[in-house]
Amino acid sequence: MSDAAEIMDTPAPDAATERPIIEIDDLRTYFYTRDGVVRAVDGVSFKVHRGETVCVVGESGCGKSVTAMSVLRLIPEPPGRIVSGAITFDGRDLLGLREEEMRDVRGNDISMIFQEPMTSLNPVLTVGRQIAESVVLHQGLGKKEAADKAVEMLDLVGIPEPVRRAREYPHQLSGGMRQRVMIAMALSCNPQVLIADEPTTALDVTIQAQILNLMLDLKQRLGTAIIMITHDLGVVAEVAQRVVVMYAGRKVEEAPVEELFARPMHAYTYGLMGSVPRLNVALENTGERERLQEIPGTVPSLREDIVGCAFAPRCAFATDHCRAERPELEEKRPGHVVACWESERVRAAHG
Amino acid sequence: MVDDMTQTAGAATGEVVLEVKDLKKHFPIHRGIISRVAGHVFAVDGVSFDIRKGETLGLVGESGCGKSTVGKTVLRLLEPTGGEIRLRGQDVTHLTGEELRTRRREMQMVFQDPYSSLNPRMSSGEIVGEPMENYGLATGKAKEDRVAALFERVGLRRENMLKYPHEFSGGQRQRLGIARALALNPSLIIADEAVSALDVSVKAQVINLMMDLQQEFELGYLFISHDIAVIEHISHRVAVMYLGKIVELTDKDTIFRTPLHPYTEALLSAVPIPDPQVKRERIILRGDVPSPINPPTGCHFHTRCPYAVDRCRAEAPPLTEVSPGHHVACHLREVGAGPVKLTPTKADAPVAAA
Repeated sequence: MSDAAEIMDTPAPDAATERPIIEIDDLRTYFYTRDGVVRAVDGVSFKVHRGETVCVVGESGCGKSVTAMSVLRLIPEPPGRIVSGAITFDGRDLLGLREEEMRDVRGNDISMIFQEPMTSLNPVLTVGRQIAESVVLHQGLGKKEAADKAVEMLDLVGIPEPVRRAREYPHQLSGGMRQRVMIAMALSCNPQVLIADEPTTALDVTIQAQILNLMLDLKQRLGTAIIMITHDLGVVAEVAQRVVVMYAGRKVEEAPVEELFARPMHAYTYGLMGSVPRLNVALENTGERERLQEIPGTVPSLREDIVGCAFAPRCAFATDHCRAERPELEEKRPGHVVACWESERVRAAHG
Repeated sequence: MVDDMTQTAGAATGEVVLEVKDLKKHFPIHRGIISRVAGHVFAVDGVSFDIRKGETLGLVGESGCGKSTVGKTVLRLLEPTGGEIRLRGQDVTHLTGEELRTRRREMQMVFQDPYSSLNPRMSSGEIVGEPMENYGLATGKAKEDRVAALFERVGLRRENMLKYPHEFSGGQRQRLGIARALALNPSLIIADEAVSALDVSVKAQVINLMMDLQQEFELGYLFISHDIAVIEHISHRVAVMYLGKIVELTDKDTIFRTPLHPYTEALLSAVPIPDPQVKRERIILRGDVPSPINPPTGCHFHTRCPYAVDRCRAEAPPLTEVSPGHHVACHLREVGAGPVKLTPTKADAPVAAA
């Protein structure tokens, strides 16, 4: 854990001045279904710098995965479509690229790890071959070198007996090992950006700890920028440097991780933090069972036009103003932006 | 809803609702065309615990440790291979037919995925009312009234009785599952990953509801989960399982403050804390959980344990009460010795640093 702690504390080099490696600007991704238009992502912007880990947090259906898929242009079309906005990778406009050019970016410059490794690995190919395939494709290595590279990558992600494992099929590996294979594959071409969509959600906690450690360690060694999508605030606190909170297809708050946990300013973020059961190992335990803070109701449907703040119907701080007019993002403190009319009251409530 | 915001841990003094002694469930593995038995999966291998009225016993462990099998075997959805299950004093281990049906009324289950456990072709009112009719508790208007009361109690509107399961959200479906479990006035509820599939904000609603209902009806809960933070929140006592056995069992505070089993210690240290200020000592376990088909000799945990000595590889440690109410199965923990810091024995022992 010591390594991880140090990595987290190292700020991205010249984060303020350097050109971001990924820049998402006012992204809108809609799905055109028979029942109407679903505004899955509706005007999301954020940047990621080299060597930085940004976590995107939110509940099911808030648009966090669609944002990630949009970056890689993996949105199924139809029904989905990136309606407007810009995604820039190292100065290149990704949305303007032709499909062949985009294929070159995927896996080579930007890689992705999914939640369920079993569904993203090919069941009829050995894992060694699957890793080698992407190396041959993207780096132009010969078959023999690629096979060696695959074994080397398996070793790098901590799989014991990599030579033997490289000859095995996905079903012969445990869940934790499959996720390591996915990471090995994602990192085999030294991508500059790694997008991880709930990479540890399906894993047990002791395996989750192994995988998070591995990702942070690799990040430090290879300098990869990481966009991590998760709903687990514990994971966020451990790995993130900056956090983007999404609700109903929009970014509602963004801040450096310590700032966000110390001073949440959006009522939704505040509510989320209160509703998470936490291990009170560090605190004095009273032997009593406390009630959790609830957020009443459920997330709104993204098919309907939302008037005012999307969170207002569930919000304890909501006023008539919130219900009538949507709050815009505003920088309240350095690096801390929030879209909430009542952010001062929320901040006071948390303090 | 309950007025006071807290519930004391002292609820655990009432009548014993469930008593499980040395419970075993082994699944045979069949091979070949004549289906000869080629081995066994030792899913549950000698598990003992009890649950009192109004008490929650949290059963925690990683995938494949046998925690769900414990739940299903207690309910007699699976036939136990050995051991004893007593429900309010009466042995139900070998009951069959009508007798079993009668006793089953007292124990109900809430599942992880409420959608697949609700009949999609019945209205939600029928789903909750059906068990009452099956057991002849109420029919007609009386049944309707009771269903309506249950709906309101779990936070669903009375009008929702006419809706079908697909018309509800995940959290509402779980409320429906809870209402159905309550329909027969059970004394024990077995909740298997009951909140694991729910979103954070909805999870809190359902946990609170279950805690309120427990207080109101003095329910005993066997709360099975892999989510340690949820277990800590809802339990009075906690049992930690590893490869078919309970390795540690004690009250919640003790287990979280002074875990004695090396597995518990590692498990707790692996849980991410939602506070970037908290930096803890973390123990990273190597490797995966071994297969329950061919569990390691001696202590099942010795293959991953940083402190294992020769004795651990040879001899299985029994679950021993080392201090009042604190049971642990580890050779390195002696009665009355307290939480002495153990010394790693392996050269490549997991790194533990602040």
